[in-house]
Amino acid sequence: MNKESFWNKAATRSVLASLIAIVIGMMAGSIIILIVGLTNPALGIKGAWEGIRLVFAGLFSTGRSASGSLTFGFNGTTFGNMLFRAMPLMMTGLSVALGNKAGLFNIGAPGQYLAGTAASLYVALSVPTSVLPAWLIWVLAFLCGMLAGALWGSIPGVLKAYLNINEVLACIMTNWIAANAVTWIFEGSNLRNVLEGTKTGYIYKTSTVMHDVVIDGVNSTVGAAVPEGAQVLARRGGVATGKMGLDALFAGSQVNGGIIVAILLVVVIYVILSKTTLGYELKACGANRYAARYAGIQDKRNIVLTMALAGALSGAGAALYYLSGNTEFFWTTYQSLPSEGFNGIPVALLAINHPLGVIFSSVFMSMLSICGQKLTELTAYNEYITDVIISVIVYLSAFMLVIKLWIGKLNNRKAVK
Amino acid sequence: MDHENDYVIEMLHITKEFPGIKANDDVTIQLRRGEIHALLGENGAGKSTLMSVLFGLYQPEQGEIRKDGKVVKINNPNDATALHIGMVHQHFKLIDVFTVLDNIILGAEDTKMGFVQRKQARAKVEDLSKRYGLAVDLDAKVEDITVGMQQRVEILKMLYRDNEILIFDEPTAVLTPQEIVELMQIMKGLAREGKSILFISHKLNEILEVSDRVSVLRKGRYIGTVNTAETDAASLSRMMVGHDVQLVVDKKPATPGQVVLEVQDLHIPSHLYKHDAVKGVSFQVRSGEIVCIAGIDGNGQSELVFGLTGLEKVSHGKIMLNGVDITHSSVKKHSLAGESHIPEDRHKHGLVLDFTLEENMVLQAYQEPRFQKMGFIRFREIRKYAQRLIKEYDVRSGQGPLTIARSMSGGNQQKAIVGREIDRDLPLLISVQPTRGLDVGAIENIHGQIVAQRDAGKAVLLVSLELDEVMNLSDRILVMYEGEIVGELDPKQTTVEELGLYMAGAKRQGKKEAATA
Repeated sequence: MNKESFWNKAATRSVLASLIAIVIGMMAGSIIILIVGLTNPALGIKGAWEGIRLVFAGLFSTGRSASGSLTFGFNGTTFGNMLFRAMPLMMTGLSVALGNKAGLFNIGAPGQYLAGTAASLYVALSVPTSVLPAWLIWVLAFLCGMLAGALWGSIPGVLKAYLNINEVLACIMTNWIAANAVTWIFEGSNLRNVLEGTKTGYIYKTSTVMHDVVIDGVNSTVGAAVPEGAQVLARRGGVATGKMGLDALFAGSQVNGGIIVAILLVVVIYVILSKTTLGYELKACGANRYAARYAGIQDKRNIVLTMALAGALSGAGAALYYLSGNTEFFWTTYQSLPSEGFNGIPVALLAINHPLGVIFSSVFMSMLSICGQKLTELTAYNEYITDVIISVIVYLSAFMLVIKLWIGKLNNRKAVK
Repeated sequence: MDHENDYVIEMLHITKEFPGIKANDDVTIQLRRGEIHALLGENGAGKSTLMSVLFGLYQPEQGEIRKDGKVVKINNPNDATALHIGMVHQHFKLIDVFTVLDNIILGAEDTKMGFVQRKQARAKVEDLSKRYGLAVDLDAKVEDITVGMQQRVEILKMLYRDNEILIFDEPTAVLTPQEIVELMQIMKGLAREGKSILFISHKLNEILEVSDRVSVLRKGRYIGTVNTAETDAASLSRMMVGHDVQLVVDKKPATPGQVVLEVQDLHIPSHLYKHDAVKGVSFQVRSGEIVCIAGIDGNGQSELVFGLTGLEKVSHGKIMLNGVDITHSSVKKHSLAGESHIPEDRHKHGLVLDFTLEENMVLQAYQEPRFQKMGFIRFREIRKYAQRLIKEYDVRSGQGPLTIARSMSGGNQQKAIVGREIDRDLPLLISVQPTRGLDVGAIENIHGQIVAQRDAGKAVLLVSLELDEVMNLSDRILVMYEGEIVGELDPKQTTVEELGLYMAGAKRQGKKEAATA
């Protein structure tokens, strides 16, 4: 293959278009940092330069030296945390990308994510470890999270397929139904962390060990330590994703085997979409529903199936995130939807709906959030600068086609010369 | 300046390239004032591209356009309109729920303080209508008038905008024989009044009848311009195709065998479910014969085919294929029972335009064991299969099996579909307007394929709006009018005129007679 054809390939152009969008977004962020720095005497040009460096290389920040200047180097903890945060984004991004491939706009990822959260937390925290081993409970909780997401996703799917109701409307509605339902489910539960006074808003981490006990004829739940004379009815909790050796690579970080499960799911979806007859059917339905129907493909079944699969992926993202054992879930969600759900949309956009691209775009997104965190920690800037960058990139994603055409023209001009 | 060289529009040495294909290669067309100039060419010959260049939709890589001898730059359709160039598209651009008058003035309304001056507009349109003999009912809604009248509305739209150069893009495709005669008269009248007309068509007899000169394109190249009076159909088609063509389908008498498709008292609701689009249709198709459903567009033929293929639900009646009841089966079961289908709308049903050619070649067959193993697609087999079909059915494209279907010309898209359906080798071939919008070369090819299928013992159900096709290809003709079969005719014993009368609903056989004929 010669070089020219490489640059002219559609895939190359798509990747280039995404990279250009990213670079422009980062530059827009830098300009804002510069403006803010120059108008704020406490920051000045020196502060602005620090900010810009952190936006581009926050991932490699190791804090400040004794003399007060920024230091950079490989930081396993930050790296691991980036992968950890990329994990749920990867799943919701994949969920949105799968929908787009099949011609459906899955804006219901937040709701599916919440359904997955509720189901996996409930199973992980309420099935006694005295009945089943912890690893089996983890598997069960993970599968239940996927199943709940799938069920939640298939509601707009069924409405779309059989009643021709626009999936965007149905998704937005089911998002808020999920938010309220989840709040209601946990409100009555004994899974809320009431022991630590101020933390009543949170559900226990799944790694928390609890005992249902009877003390002096009164039923109660205690933590890991069982008071003397208490009769233990059941032992619950203590479920967490295995580290799978990743803690050795990225010491001190939150990363665990979940990222491997996530990447495996990405590969599975990639194979389904590009190598199987099912993928052929889904793409045909997405590209031309009438031609698919003419070919004898059951378009209605495929719409429901796509939405269920997309929902399962969002649910899997939630399950992986909360089953990690070191995350807490703020259970009153009736006023807000999880940002992991909506951020799946830019992740998919940036990946041009390619499953493997989702791996990179989700890692990139979480890197930006790490950079934002470093900005807050080390300078007077706050992390919302990175939100500006993300929004510029999303905005540019809409112009991807224009950028691609532009690259094509540039190539042609070179070829003429 | 003598009349011979009084050119109103000249397109000189136009070259327009697309990836992998030169759509126009040094094409020169010169349109004289007051002439009817026909533009003839195969599909993919570059006629549409040339017109898009004239309309400013594409910018040519080389060449120039002159109006009245002066070089002009046409960057967009607005520039074309400003130069008084107007076009009647093959598919009309009318708003169904607006009146005829409103459609004519839309976009060019005279207003006073923001109010449309309908009275003046009406006077102008009535004047034009009288002068050019374009009878229309100005207060009727477009949805209520005939296709022929809709076309007259399109022509009036151009005249209302004082266009001098009128482009007709395959204007006769949707008309009945009587309406075609009327249109020819109108075009001649327009030319007499000094309008210059570019007439795009592949119908040689129409070109011979109405045009003054003919320019021929072949595979993007300009072949030549001839005076119509000095040429004939055979030499024109030779110029267009590059070799001699058989204008009449060469076929042996049919030898019908056993009944393959049997339809009894079929009722199919229309899309709006207000009434039945197909009302109690019964017929049979035997192996080794071509049965043609003739009729003017919109008389229930489309719905009938949707019903026969399972795309639309049947409300009453029975469909038997080789003795198996498939009335309420799914599309896939219809297909498995032995039905292949060349659909009416190749873009909507026939192809997934964003898929590659090879992916489109296995649109139904992807599930067969030869193309998949445990649900995994066998890409190599698909590639081989697609390459064979491309070769056998002469499907031309820029990048072979990997060409995106959208980027192919209409004729080659159709050849791909015809190849795919015929190659499935099933007992019944339902073929709806298989040659719509194709040139004589491709028509000859496809007609030959269909006759070969018949001779191989397949039952062929042909639905066509083209009278030539109906007369040439079929062994039996069933005429549909308003959802019913109003006559069964033998193509050897009937005339185009008689067929036209049945199609227009002016004549019908008694129910008993139709059933026994």
